[in-house]
Amino acid sequence: MRKIRAVIRREFVERVRSKWFWVSAILGPLFFAAIIIIPLHFAAAGGTKAIVVVDGTTSGFGARVADSLARGKTFMIVARSAPRAGLLDSLTREVGLNRLDGLLILADRTVETGAAEYRAANVSSFRDIDELRGVLGRLAVNARLERAGVDPATVGRAQLRIDLRTKKISGSATTGESSAQSFWLAYVMSIVLFIVIAVYGVNVMSSVLEEKTTRIVEVLVSSLRPFELMLGKVVGVGAVSIFQFAIWGLGGRLVLSQRAALIGNVAPADVGQEAAFQLPPVPATTVAVFLGYFLGGFFLYSAMFAAVGAMSSSEQEARQAQQPVVFLLMIAYLSVFALANDPGSPYAVALSLVPFTSPIAMPVRWAAGSVSVSELVMSLALLGVGIGAVTWIAARIYRVGILMTGKRPNLRELIRWVRA
Amino acid sequence: MTAPSPSPSPSPTPILILDRVSKRFAGHTAVDELSLSVPSGVIYGLLGPNGAGKTTTLRMIMDILEPDGGTVRVFGEPGGGRAHAERIGYLPEERGLYRKMRVLDVLVFLGEMKGTDRRRARQRAEEWLARLGLTEWRLRRIDELSKGMQQKVQFISTVLHDPDLLVLDEPFSGLDPVNTQVMKDTVLDLRHRGKTILFSTHIMEQAEKLCEQLCIIARGRKLVDGALADIKRTHGGHHLVLGFDGSLGGAAQVFADQTLVSNVDNYGQYAEVELAAGADPQQILQRLVASGARLSRFELQEASLNKIFIDLVGAEAVRA
Repeated sequence: MRKIRAVIRREFVERVRSKWFWVSAILGPLFFAAIIIIPLHFAAAGGTKAIVVVDGTTSGFGARVADSLARGKTFMIVARSAPRAGLLDSLTREVGLNRLDGLLILADRTVETGAAEYRAANVSSFRDIDELRGVLGRLAVNARLERAGVDPATVGRAQLRIDLRTKKISGSATTGESSAQSFWLAYVMSIVLFIVIAVYGVNVMSSVLEEKTTRIVEVLVSSLRPFELMLGKVVGVGAVSIFQFAIWGLGGRLVLSQRAALIGNVAPADVGQEAAFQLPPVPATTVAVFLGYFLGGFFLYSAMFAAVGAMSSSEQEARQAQQPVVFLLMIAYLSVFALANDPGSPYAVALSLVPFTSPIAMPVRWAAGSVSVSELVMSLALLGVGIGAVTWIAARIYRVGILMTGKRPNLRELIRWVRA
Repeated sequence: MTAPSPSPSPSPTPILILDRVSKRFAGHTAVDELSLSVPSGVIYGLLGPNGAGKTTTLRMIMDILEPDGGTVRVFGEPGGGRAHAERIGYLPEERGLYRKMRVLDVLVFLGEMKGTDRRRARQRAEEWLARLGLTEWRLRRIDELSKGMQQKVQFISTVLHDPDLLVLDEPFSGLDPVNTQVMKDTVLDLRHRGKTILFSTHIMEQAEKLCEQLCIIARGRKLVDGALADIKRTHGGHHLVLGFDGSLGGAAQVFADQTLVSNVDNYGQYAEVELAAGADPQQILQRLVASGARLSRFELQEASLNKIFIDLVGAEAVRA
């Protein structure tokens, strides 16, 4: 026991002493903020689009569309021009030269048939398209109603913007979380879990590899059992990760509190924007679930990473051999949108029960929607069994692998090691 | 460097016993029913050519590998060395330390691995670093040290916990002359303090100078073991160099006696005689003097351990 403690202490002290640890402790939250926010910012926002409305309408419909779009934040109307020969070609050239983002082509028949045309360099922005469709649809309906003799004032009164407030019910209590907050929390947790489990798992792997390649492992296993060594290593690196979280906990809260300024108008437009940008009230139970599954996932995966390190003889070999383990970890991570959108789907439930995916899937489901206690207990129990089984197998591979030199074992040899 | 004086007499109970120990790897047998016994308080050499199974044997003693057959007894108890880690120092053949760790931290950690508590490990590490002239390097990282200094640190890690038994796998390989001397001196010093040293080597000159007892193995099998002097007596020492001062007397008849001499190179005033099996050189001396020969030189030449080794291992290679 004293020897295991010494192994734990060495792993912890040497890591916390390294520059790498403090760099990631300080830059980690910024890094997470960057990888979470930047892609969404680019995907959803993308700045104001400068467009020209090519107005072929005679009813004033085009003017109304241009006014309405100009009131929104998405589009800036550079000009509204009547169609003439060569106009479309010259505007298209402007778009090609990046002096213009796009052109909206309207005609009288737009009101009749709903047909309009939007030409732009980028037509994949959901936000842009939603905005255009919304404005065109609303104004077309108005125009038709007016033409049918409905009083414009009645039309105005009939219009109602739906302000749908979403509140998550957790247990039987209504929480303050909005759906945007739930999604954010789930999304952030999945990224943090994925990266931290992978990073610290790889830490365990390189630690195993260092002892193997320097042959210190011979001295060590002549003093304590290979399993004790592996256990000490995993616990020591795990303690570093918890310490890292403690530091991030403070730094992360700081970044999250500045989120509104950082991310701008990213949240879905149908959610009250202010609510989306407040610091989500993360309940203590969610923190507990997150940490519980993090530890479970870390133990499960670092045992596998330890085995990978033990069966490799060099960094390059280990990088190759770790790929199946990383893929396994990625399954749940890549499913985060599906999980958050429909936390109750059979796929989501399955992912949150299988030990290899539950460490990421369950916290995401927990954050996105409520999970019954019995499901949580079952998932944790399965995770416990999974950790036990995987650690047993990994320890047997580790025991043989750390003393092996030469080529990496194939699957058959691995099975022999485990059964030996 | 002289051979160690036969001080504290070896205790009768061996500190280490291997009884028909075998280890097979996929496709070949590395160690084949090897039995040997290391008395307490001696320097014991495990000799053999490369690939003879020396490292595998030492690893089984250290509990790094499990024997497929046979038993290991350390300090009288069945099982390998792990249970006695605090009493055994082990220097593996391939050296290595944590490159990014500080010298003192590495030593304290490895001391803890051997069951020494931190304070004591630190104190002993400081002592040893001072003794080997590394004090000012104690807070430097291992990878800042020269190779020679790293070897010293590694050696300190082996003896830090003051073990009763040292297991050294090719301790002299890769050492510079200075460190070779340090290593020899320390080994002899430990031996004089009653410690037992088991080391493997394929360099016979070193073994001949240091070992009191030894075991020669090849292809995983024991060829011979016992005290160095006995081995030399039974496997060497059959050559007699004679110098005559004028009169040969009846030397020709003496040389012709098949019970005494198996072969002779007679150069007139100088002769090299190979003794017959079981012949007593003193009898030849008496017979020569009695026959009227005048001798200026009578020298019994011991075969070197190197020659014995090559004879034995070569014969084994031919048989295999």
